[in-house]
Amino acid sequence: MAVAGVKQSTRIPQWVHTLLPYVAAVVASFAAAGIFIGLMGFNVLKAYETILFTSFRTPNGFVQTLLKFVPLVLQALAFTIPLAAGKFNIGGEGQLIVGGIAAAAVGITFANLPLLLLLPLVLLAGVVAGAFWAAIPGWLLYRFRISEILTTVLMNFISFSLINYVATEIWPEPVAGHPTTVPIGEGGMLPTLIARPPLHVGFVLAVIVAGLVYVYATRTVSGYELVATGANPRAALVYGINIRTLSVFALVLGGALAGLSGAVEVAGVHHRLIEGLQSNYMSLGILTGLIAKGNNLAVPFVAFFLAVLEVGASAMQRTMMIPGEMVIIVEALIVLFILLSDVVGRR
Amino acid sequence: MRQPGGETRNGEARYVFLPAKPPHSTPYQMTEAIYPMNTPLVRMQGIRKAFGDVVALHDVGFELQQGEIHGLLGGNGAGKTTLMNILYGLYTADAGEIYVHGEKVNIRSPRDAINHGIGMVHQHFLQVPPFTVAQNIVLGTVAKLRPTNQLAQETERIRELAHQFGLDVDPDALIEDLPVGVRQRVEILKALYRGVDILILDEPTTNLTPQEVDALFQSLRAMVEKGLSVVFITHKIREVMAVCDRVTVLRDGQNVFTRAIADASEEELVRGMVGEQLDVGHSFLFAGRPQELTKEHAPGEIRILVDDLHVPGDDGALAVRGCTFEVRAGEIFGIAGVAGNGQRELAESLMGIRAISQGRIVLNDLEVTEGSTPSVFSNGVAYIPEDRLEDGFLPTASVAHNLILGYHRQPPYRKGWFLDWKTVFRVAWDLIREYNIRTTGPDDIAANLSGGNIQRLMLARAFAHPMQVLIAHNPTRGLDIPSMEFVYHKLLAQREQGTAILLISEDLDELMLLCDRIGTMYKGEMVGILDRGAFDKYAIGRMMGGVT
Repeated sequence: MAVAGVKQSTRIPQWVHTLLPYVAAVVASFAAAGIFIGLMGFNVLKAYETILFTSFRTPNGFVQTLLKFVPLVLQALAFTIPLAAGKFNIGGEGQLIVGGIAAAAVGITFANLPLLLLLPLVLLAGVVAGAFWAAIPGWLLYRFRISEILTTVLMNFISFSLINYVATEIWPEPVAGHPTTVPIGEGGMLPTLIARPPLHVGFVLAVIVAGLVYVYATRTVSGYELVATGANPRAALVYGINIRTLSVFALVLGGALAGLSGAVEVAGVHHRLIEGLQSNYMSLGILTGLIAKGNNLAVPFVAFFLAVLEVGASAMQRTMMIPGEMVIIVEALIVLFILLSDVVGRR
Repeated sequence: MRQPGGETRNGEARYVFLPAKPPHSTPYQMTEAIYPMNTPLVRMQGIRKAFGDVVALHDVGFELQQGEIHGLLGGNGAGKTTLMNILYGLYTADAGEIYVHGEKVNIRSPRDAINHGIGMVHQHFLQVPPFTVAQNIVLGTVAKLRPTNQLAQETERIRELAHQFGLDVDPDALIEDLPVGVRQRVEILKALYRGVDILILDEPTTNLTPQEVDALFQSLRAMVEKGLSVVFITHKIREVMAVCDRVTVLRDGQNVFTRAIADASEEELVRGMVGEQLDVGHSFLFAGRPQELTKEHAPGEIRILVDDLHVPGDDGALAVRGCTFEVRAGEIFGIAGVAGNGQRELAESLMGIRAISQGRIVLNDLEVTEGSTPSVFSNGVAYIPEDRLEDGFLPTASVAHNLILGYHRQPPYRKGWFLDWKTVFRVAWDLIREYNIRTTGPDDIAANLSGGNIQRLMLARAFAHPMQVLIAHNPTRGLDIPSMEFVYHKLLAQREQGTAILLISEDLDELMLLCDRIGTMYKGEMVGILDRGAFDKYAIGRMMGGVT
């Protein structure tokens, strides 16, 4: 067996071995989806050109991509960190919403504070609220061993009602015609890197956070314990790692990042709380985490790729009238093909 | 020829029944026939079997004569069980032929094997605990529809068979009430009841007391006297010498030799099993006087203190009930006992993994309770868990991750909140070389390692870090002989350095070789502690069986 292992690694470099299934999966899923686009009577090549290159053709396209990239990275990390401890956080959506609510609450209540004070408070409020929202399933898991899969999902539904209440009863914007709050103070808004099209600094923030998470998981003692617990919880326990505390911590950390993504949406994009600001970021974030196979280093790259697809999909829908859902099919196929490549790789 | 199943025939007559040789005898190609006058009862030739990239058997041959006990000897991974699983129809060979009674056969399932008169008793029994012995034995054989589930006739036959072969079993007892030794007899009776005349036993002595081993050997002799033939799979040379007529030695999936026991010496068999890599002069297997290896010296202060310990098992019932002992620095304290008598719970409670309900544990001045595992490790306690894959291995993490597990919070690996990977990698490289772990490096994913290399990795982790206390549970299980000897040397070296060692083992020979004192556990109690001078295999065996 050892001989076979050595042979394998000398024949093809490791990075080719890792990357090959991804390239194959992307190509295969595009090919498979292309069949359907073709059958529906559209120009397949033009559709794919739109999907892949919209982001890079105009400054607006690129900025749109970066704006989508931010919540995708944060949501993906909110999923992969608990995943490393063997826990499934399906509550990124609710954590995003309560993060947004808290950010808006602080931004509206202390609207007159200067930027240097208000902005950190707004972001921090989002982080704390997201962490709190994940801490409830965490506590239920720790105390009563209730599956976090169930509780995190259920917490999402509570947040839907909560945002509705806040946006219609507490700080409603009467003229909006959609549950929306009044804007936050100017000091709470994320500064822009480019004025037109507007690009806020959330992009930089997401990259820094992704870097910190990577350093945390690979360099710190706690990150080591997270990896060990994910690899074999029983062995981690036997060798003195408190896996119950650690899995709760991982859930809370994930919730904090999801909460941050909500705060960034409020402080950077909408400058107010809007019902529906969570979009489909959680599903895309989970997809990102799955495609990255939980590898935090891969998450930003996969997130960028999915952001490109998302922006391209809207353009395709606008210009060619092809349903944008086609892209979700492509993304799902990528995950399936990557899982398939795992099975093939084991043979 | 024999009829398939054979359930209606009378047992006694069947075993003396010899198959008619086919007139056109099959081509006979074995160059070295031991008993050339007889057609062998079973002949396997050119057997090859691969699992993925790993070739478990290369062109292996095997012959079983009628009326013999044939030892199949080899170290871990030699392929002995695989070869017999092929004969029993659990695996299909990639190449090769099997002849039974001189006729070429194609055995595709255990049912085929039983129809050819071949039965096998595995290490793990497949029994229904709430059923009686008779119900378990009959299960799967009776096709007749009956208004009640009365088994009077069958029970009588089982009683007869049991008596005939000296297999002392009450057919009406419930399986769940029986000790391992008796359950094994049930498994043998199961095969005999199905009318087999070839019985394969896979490491049958693993969980038996010495008394039960003697009884088993007597039964095996009774069987061959009645005309049965037995294949005895083992890695223990002494057992082969004690009971077998002939022996076939396998190593790395290849035949080494087949010999009559009368012509074989112990040393020859060891060399056959191990090859040339064993330093016979310093080997424990030839150390007739082990005190030369384990020098006498006065033990020091108490390092392990266990006082009136009560530990609940997984089902909530007490698995350890009132154990009291202490282990001093420079002492190896052995715990003997049939598996499942509370050893696992004892080890886990000592490491702070399992809650105790009464009593106290002190390791190196540290009061151990559930959850104090991190302090246990930082207090100079090393642990070799029984189930090393399940309890000690991180398959998806790197080799380096694995090597520091449990020690990752201590210097030199830790620097504040961070791990010093430079030091970790340096230590990891040293360990990979010292323990001969076959890997591409510390950043290799541990799942790429083979079973033997995983074992060495676990041992490296346990022995590489400074310790005052070592808790080792079956540390040599599944190891090949050189690795086993390596562990023995390491254990004795730790003893020299003043480590207090608790060695829990199911291998009585191992305990008697290494320990200064041996305590025996039976149903969670420490039934007796003997000093080295008073070691007596049979006395310990009686305690293991609960006879005081």
